[in-house]
Amino acid sequence: MSLDYVKFSGGFEKFMPKEYRDMVEHGPFGKKISVSQMGSFKEILEEHPMCAGCAMTLFIRLAIIAFPNPEDTITVGTAGCGRLAISQAAIPFVYGNYGDQNGVASGLSRGLRLRFGDKPKDVVVMAGDGGTADIGFQQVLHSWFRKERFTTIMLDNEVYGNTGGQESGMTNRGAVLKMAPLGKKFEKMDMLQMAKVAGCAYVATVVPNNPRRVESVIKKAVLIAREVGSTYIQAYTSCNIEYAIPTDKVMEDAKTVENDRYQFTEYVSDEAKQYLTERYGYKDYLPKPAAPAAAIPNKA
Amino acid sequence: MYLVANIDVEICAAKSCKLCTQYCPEANTILYSEEMGKDKGFKYGSAYVAVDRCKGCAQCVWVCDNMAKNNAIKMIMIDQLPLAAITDNVTYGEKSTVAVLSDPMVVG
Ligand SMILES: Cc1ncc(C[n+]2csc(CCOP(=O)(O)OP(=O)(O)O)c2C)c(N)n1
Ligand code: SF4
Ligand code: SF4
Ligand code: SF4
Repeated sequence: MSLDYVKFSGGFEKFMPKEYRDMVEHGPFGKKISVSQMGSFKEILEEHPMCAGCAMTLFIRLAIIAFPNPEDTITVGTAGCGRLAISQAAIPFVYGNYGDQNGVASGLSRGLRLRFGDKPKDVVVMAGDGGTADIGFQQVLHSWFRKERFTTIMLDNEVYGNTGGQESGMTNRGAVLKMAPLGKKFEKMDMLQMAKVAGCAYVATVVPNNPRRVESVIKKAVLIAREVGSTYIQAYTSCNIEYAIPTDKVMEDAKTVENDRYQFTEYVSDEAKQYLTERYGYKDYLPKPAAPAAAIPNKA
Repeated sequence: MYLVANIDVEICAAKSCKLCTQYCPEANTILYSEEMGKDKGFKYGSAYVAVDRCKGCAQCVWVCDNMAKNNAIKMIMIDQLPLAAITDNVTYGEKSTVAVLSDPMVVG
């Protein structure tokens, strides 16, 4: 896609739906926008059928705002709740069969590189915990071992939400769900460690109750995936239906879970640090100035 | 009948922190107008809800009460709205990216 995609064809302007006109006139394409400007530009994400108050919806909303070049981004998804929203955005979306998403994204990102050369075309996979850590596990891991250059985002609601409450590998031990009535017997999978072992250049955990942090990790992950290698973000995105969280308590729950098992963590490989610093002017990874030598106590 | 979020312009415009839209799960739903509240002497404008996109989750109420500590948002029945910002009537300023209510519609 290019910026021409979001222009009116001559003479059609007044026949276009309002949402499209807003997108052309006040959308974020080709501009630098940030979460602090939310509410004053037309967002790429449109209306969709995900549940009221779903934290996954909020995360997807923030993630799409954070894409560094939305006009050059293609999202890939799979079965699960998230695709209901991701597919309703004004950027191309590819629907992989359940679990195929990282295979599809591998082919797509390689194809885009052949076709467009150095011009960055960002591929971002967003899939549920079931799609990523269970059904898609093999393809996810192999894409990382091959260092495929795209971003994988796990929308971790710790359950199969779309199909009514089966346990996933990411469900916590002991959690009782509609279709795990005796409680899960095994530990939550450590996908973060697996991502590091498999060679991802960037691995981060994030919760949606910190919009600026969501923005920052998504940007870094997408930029690093352009040249350095695979990047992985694991986001806690609660399912208020399967975990019976009242919708006005969703942010409180996110805070509790953040403190319990979703503290912010970020791993950036040395190569990725150097790349962010040299290519995109990040200052966070410059060597810290040496601390001034501690004053020697004056013993009188 | 169903509930939607309603923002009290006078209470919001006194603070206008823009937190609620960053936490509303729905896109393009809590918008900002730099004009709203100016007639009453407020400087920074107010948030407002495009109610036909609002799913009634009340997360914004929690955010305004607990994070902004401003209590500007209440859930009310759609037919009790004095002015409904039906999305068709919500537009964006011509020259800026500031959202404004072009023609608030009276429901009821
Ligand atoms: C091959 C295949 N098996 C099973 C399904 C049925 N199915 C659809 S969504 C889903 C579970 C999704 O769970 P998860 O990936 O955790 O995403 P969530 O809905 O929780 O966001 C399943 C099993 C399918 N669509 N395709
Ligand atoms: S079922 Fe759960 S994860 Fe899916 S849209 Fe509803 S609240 Fe969100
Ligand atoms: S959180 Fe409350 S005070 Fe802040 S912008 Fe929203 S309505 Fe206004
Ligand atoms: S009630 Fe929910 S959907 Fe409606 S404006 Fe508030 S946060 Fe958004």
